[in-house]
Amino acid sequence: MYSFLRKFLIAAYSFSSVVFEGTGQEYKSIFERVPAKKSGINFKNQLKEDQFNNILRYEYFYNGGGVAVGDLNNDGLDDIFFTGNMTGNKLYKNLGGLKFEDITKSSGIGGKDTWTTGVSMADVNGDGLLDIYVCYSGKKSPDSRRNELWINEGNFKFSEKAKAYGIDDPSNSTQGLFFDFDNDGDLDLYLLNHHIEVINELEFDRERNARHPYAGDKLFRNDGGQFTDISEQAGIKGSALGFGLAVIASDINQDGWMDLLVTNDYIEPDYLYINQGNGTFKDQLPQNLQHLSHFSMGADIADVNNDGLPDIFTLDMLPEDNERQKLLYGPENYEQYNLMIRRGFQHQLMRNMLHLNRGNESFSEIGQAAGISNTDWSWSALFFDANNDGNKDLFVTNGYYRDYTNRDFLKYKGDYYFKQAVAKEKADTLHLVTSMTSTPIHNYFFENQGNTRFKNISFTSGFSSKNFSSGAAFADLDNDGDLDLIINHLNEVSEIFENKSEKGPWLQIDLNYSEGNRFGIGTKVEVYSKDQIQYQEMQPVRGFQSSSTFRLHFGLGNQTQIDSIRIIWPNQEIYSLQNLTVNQRLSADYKPKGSKELSASASSPLFEKLPALLEFNPSLSAINDFKRQPLLLTMPSHIGPVMAAADLNSDGSPEVFLGGSKGTPARIYTWKEGAWEIYRGFRSSGDFTDAVVLMEDFNQDGAIDLFVGSGGYHDYLAYDEGLRDRLYLNDGTGVLVPQASFPKYLISTGTATVLDVNQDGAPDLFVGGKITPGRYPEIPESKILINDGKGNFSDQTSTYLKDAKIGMLTASVSQDLNGDGKDDLILVGEFMNPLALIQTEDGFKIQPEYFEPNLSGWWNTLKQVDLDGDGDLDLIAGNFGLNSQLKASETFPLRLYAADFDQNGSIDPIFECQVGDGYFPFASRDELLDQMVSMRSKFTDYASYSKAKVSDMFSIEELQKAQILEITTLESMYFENVNGKFQAKPLPFEAQYFPVYAIHVSDVNGDGIPDVILGGNQSQTRIRIGKIDAGFGLVMIGLGDGTFRPLTPSESGLVIKGDIKSILEINEEKNKSFIFAINQQPFQIFGLK
Amino acid sequence: MKKRLFYSWCLLLLLQSFSVKAQKSPPNWARIYAEELFHITEVMVTDVASPPVAARIYAYTTLGAYLTILDGNPKLRFPEFLETTQIPKPTYPLLNTEIQSHEFAAVYAMFLVGEIVMPSGYLLGKAKEKWIQRGLKEKMVSTKNLNTHLQLAQKTADFVLDLARKDGYVQLTAMTRYTPKEGDGNWYPTPPAYMAAVEPEWRTMKTFFLENLNAFQPAPMAPFDLTSGSSFRAQLEEVYKIGQTLTEEQKLIANFWDCNPFKVEFSGHMAIGVKKISPGGHWVGITGIAAEKARLSFAETAYIHALLAMTLHDSFVSCWKAKYDTNRIRPETVINQKLDSEWKPLLQTPPFPEYSSGHSVISSASAEVLTAYFGDHFDFVDTSEVYFGLPSRPFKSFFQAADEASISRLYGGIHFRDAIENGIDQGKRIGKHIAKKAQLAP
Repeated sequence: MYSFLRKFLIAAYSFSSVVFEGTGQEYKSIFERVPAKKSGINFKNQLKEDQFNNILRYEYFYNGGGVAVGDLNNDGLDDIFFTGNMTGNKLYKNLGGLKFEDITKSSGIGGKDTWTTGVSMADVNGDGLLDIYVCYSGKKSPDSRRNELWINEGNFKFSEKAKAYGIDDPSNSTQGLFFDFDNDGDLDLYLLNHHIEVINELEFDRERNARHPYAGDKLFRNDGGQFTDISEQAGIKGSALGFGLAVIASDINQDGWMDLLVTNDYIEPDYLYINQGNGTFKDQLPQNLQHLSHFSMGADIADVNNDGLPDIFTLDMLPEDNERQKLLYGPENYEQYNLMIRRGFQHQLMRNMLHLNRGNESFSEIGQAAGISNTDWSWSALFFDANNDGNKDLFVTNGYYRDYTNRDFLKYKGDYYFKQAVAKEKADTLHLVTSMTSTPIHNYFFENQGNTRFKNISFTSGFSSKNFSSGAAFADLDNDGDLDLIINHLNEVSEIFENKSEKGPWLQIDLNYSEGNRFGIGTKVEVYSKDQIQYQEMQPVRGFQSSSTFRLHFGLGNQTQIDSIRIIWPNQEIYSLQNLTVNQRLSADYKPKGSKELSASASSPLFEKLPALLEFNPSLSAINDFKRQPLLLTMPSHIGPVMAAADLNSDGSPEVFLGGSKGTPARIYTWKEGAWEIYRGFRSSGDFTDAVVLMEDFNQDGAIDLFVGSGGYHDYLAYDEGLRDRLYLNDGTGVLVPQASFPKYLISTGTATVLDVNQDGAPDLFVGGKITPGRYPEIPESKILINDGKGNFSDQTSTYLKDAKIGMLTASVSQDLNGDGKDDLILVGEFMNPLALIQTEDGFKIQPEYFEPNLSGWWNTLKQVDLDGDGDLDLIAGNFGLNSQLKASETFPLRLYAADFDQNGSIDPIFECQVGDGYFPFASRDELLDQMVSMRSKFTDYASYSKAKVSDMFSIEELQKAQILEITTLESMYFENVNGKFQAKPLPFEAQYFPVYAIHVSDVNGDGIPDVILGGNQSQTRIRIGKIDAGFGLVMIGLGDGTFRPLTPSESGLVIKGDIKSILEINEEKNKSFIFAINQQPFQIFGLK
Repeated sequence: MKKRLFYSWCLLLLLQSFSVKAQKSPPNWARIYAEELFHITEVMVTDVASPPVAARIYAYTTLGAYLTILDGNPKLRFPEFLETTQIPKPTYPLLNTEIQSHEFAAVYAMFLVGEIVMPSGYLLGKAKEKWIQRGLKEKMVSTKNLNTHLQLAQKTADFVLDLARKDGYVQLTAMTRYTPKEGDGNWYPTPPAYMAAVEPEWRTMKTFFLENLNAFQPAPMAPFDLTSGSSFRAQLEEVYKIGQTLTEEQKLIANFWDCNPFKVEFSGHMAIGVKKISPGGHWVGITGIAAEKARLSFAETAYIHALLAMTLHDSFVSCWKAKYDTNRIRPETVINQKLDSEWKPLLQTPPFPEYSSGHSVISSASAEVLTAYFGDHFDFVDTSEVYFGLPSRPFKSFFQAADEASISRLYGGIHFRDAIENGIDQGKRIGKHIAKKAQLAP
């Protein structure tokens, strides 16, 4: 234990030094609070809780207010408008130099005594002056909450004209968004609303199909200054289940028509309305996004990776730190989850989601890989370039006034009623609510480090103070070439944060479009410099209940010159400017050209999908391994299908083996020019789950034979007949005859490799054990099977592999590593370092010098190939990836303690990992208590467990006796063979978006250099981890030196949704076909174009 | 003269006996016992012990008290029953020293057992401390012999806890978790919280009296059949209809016997778990009320509580076996699917399969045992759940209460009629078997 602690401490020290080094960035983002005394801003959204105004009567009592920014008097300075829920709204005139004057009274715009929500500025009447639209909600009469449209009459005089324009809507509104949805030149209105009553879940189905007059969202078309509600005909959903918290407009699919993202709190999924260009929208979220935020709140859409495509970001409420997570997580309920999926509510998970737009209507959700998934109960998300380095950074406001979701509250506050009764006192629910704890949280600021990596620099950038923050907006308030922030706090004075970053050059653009849409909402601007493109859309409504500046701001990084900018006006006419100097504010006026430029056509993709013509779906299974071992992270049952191909009957057409799984036997098909024909010379059984397949001439008679390794977890016993590996010998006519004499050993096989162990020229076998069903992570034996040359194998493990319990093996390859003429082995597996097993006089021995230490990973697969063209074999290994809540590093390895701690006959696997900045058990309290009775007395409430470390759960003696496994890296790697030793290099970041289970090497672009296709994803995870589905089959073009250029799905043509488990290439005379085996789905086939 | 002397002697005797009474009225042991046991109930409520788990806790805590009082070799109305169970008895006397108050030690043993068998057992610390103070103040024990009493209590507690360790409970978490069975008519988690199935492997728990669970299976249930005219269809429609025509009295009955340890109430989107005692807790309450009414001694009180709690435990094991043998769907699920997608039962459907009705089985078994002990037509006023906001309710007999508890599940919309009627029969067979074994009844 001592040495273990020491190691820990040393690691901790070296880690902190890394942190200090890491802060030396080129441009440092720094924001400084402007004191109210200096700014003159003293607006405060103060709530008054009483019998009539409280969270029990109004669900959205603590949601907070909004901010709108815009130059209301066209003096070149952005003015500010704040909304207060129960207090009056306030308008501040920008006097320059970050000084503001409260002109609410003189402008007559203070609002009314109704619950006020979101605000936006837009030039609704197209007179060149920004107007203000204020939304209302709350429990009072519909008439009282009619939204207001303040028409700007110049000189800060406003008149309320909502009724005249037909948008004095009495809905429970969150936000109004003005945009031109029909491209007719004027601004239409999307009105985002929310429900104020709880919907009993029995009423879901009825409510989903009905339009609610006040809760349903509405679309108003601007017909010459008169707005007409066209929600129904335009396909806008209006159900009472909609708890709309954000609406963002963007041309998601780049077809020239504005699309919409609507986020919904609670069970109703978000909507991704794709504009059909004919006056209607279609919610294509289920087709485009594979999972989404559950309690979706604020949102933003922006091109975060500078690939010219707008990406979607939605906020939720997952905390960063362990304590708040543990207080929040309840039992995982797979039955309820499945029921909601069946009822069409989709995969919803409680965390922020970054849906990276990959083109082709495909999105990769990579919020966790990007590092922006956990920001607690979050309201506003704003992407903008804070330090002008050319990458959009991210600001997130958060905080909820009561710890509503605290599990102890649900479970133990009910005792209050009982205790009051015993004490013969009256229970008061409001008292119960107001006695709930209140935890302020700091806002988050993330530095965009490029390539979809964000770094949390909240504290160093000026956001360390703890409070409750709601709406926010950005604007260059002091015209100094950077964007400042305006934040509306709850129960505290609103604040301005001045941008004081060490910043790069910049460019600001004021758009002047045509009458009806003077400010050019919907205009797209592309800025080109060197090989970089930046893309923004004029769309001020972002974040939460707020709208930001109308001035487009671009940071330019190291560029001293802008090559060109392209302005794509809402009517798709393009205006280009060349060779601009930096650090200037530019005014772009629209001049009708009458012609439209065609955008460059996309290059044609490498692959095209071929008709599969095969319904066979051998891996379909609903088995839930968490019922057997409730603390596992992923399910070990769902491993197939595996594939292999060879010409078994020597007729010139390949036979393809498609592995089975428990309940569905494997099949072999003959492949003839893309058509499948079932092959009669083979039969398997539904008892087996095929984990590995090898086609080889084992008896050296010239005909290809078959070895199938049986794996799986399922309901197999630890030693189960269904785990028996099988050898089938080809009788010469193509009939595969099962060999009863093949050694019988009952392990769940993870891998097998052909090699010549005894140099007799006959192919022998290494068989790697992966798992002990029901007893994860107990390590099973691996095997050496010696072939007598006639296909008779004998188990000679005791001779050749004295230490046969190597690890939970998943993949193996063989090559002669030390040049002694004997085949050696390279093995990878779960929770282990890659291993080199060298043949010695005393059998196979692990020799550590071939791999660096601290490469222990969750290795799933391994391929060997010469990638750098130097004549030796390099390796590529697939790991778990970086896109999950699981983290692993040398400082904080993902650790697994396993023992039967409570001595009840079952293995208790306890995972320990980094959460926030500490090291904690992964299991939630409910999960832990379900596994071990003894923990129920140890952690009698959620609070006591919320701070527990593994050392609080077990004694040192218990931990010392336990099996301890570690993972120090989750990155998939390329291992370069340098003089017989392997040097690890992480694969490109795109390859870390998903767990890699299949690696295929092939020259797909015909340049003579091997390219790599990675397949993977993992859908069979705990609910809390959720589907990891960002991979679509990643093609990485080999550059010849061991580096790769990853292709986007639109470049490669591969858009395969699901868990790819194996990839098989079939080469006919001219055609190359690639079969992708996907767990739970039929096979998909692609051809090279 | 002689006569006068006799009278004055008599007077003296009378006076003396009066003064004795005035100084030292015998404690109301039945009430004290029930009040102390309620501390254990409170912890169970906090912990949200599920109905079968609560019965197990009652069995071991009351056994702790009973085994301690037996050490004093008390006279009992019926033969000591432990010999007839499947558990061993300790060797008496437990300590070789004189014990002043076995009653004191018995209550303390109950706490010691409760501390360990309940997750939040540590909450009994206060009750333990108070009990010691009371024992000293009321001179049940002295500061001198207090430790001896605590040792005695510890000895019985250790004996009981050893039994509890070996009854299969810790093995439950080693078993594969329940997956709802595929197909029509099978149970699936129910709204609003869709809680996971409670204790699907409870059949593997050791019982006290029942040697063979197969002998106490309920009569077969009506098979799932939605064609009109089928028994199942008729029962389904009965639940549906009765839910729409409930009288105030029927609603009161349903709520009176709800006994849902954790009802999730949504207030806005904030959820609060409202807690009550479990069905077993309700019958433990009734036992205490009856014991006080019959002015039972401590030993008799401990005897009938232990017997009743063990009966509850065995009844739950038997009933839970039936539930997961049949995996029958709840009325709410099938009504929502087939008759009315928005129908909601009056009571929240508890999270386990429907057949047979737990309340019917355990209430009927309890009524059999209590009637055998206290006699027919033993009327009482049930105040068990006053603390949980329910009124007190008079009953003419234990069977009247049990029958009402059973039918309340139909009114509550959470059971079909056959689960209730066959459950009553199942419970009566269990109760009769135990009463006979324990030699309470012929």
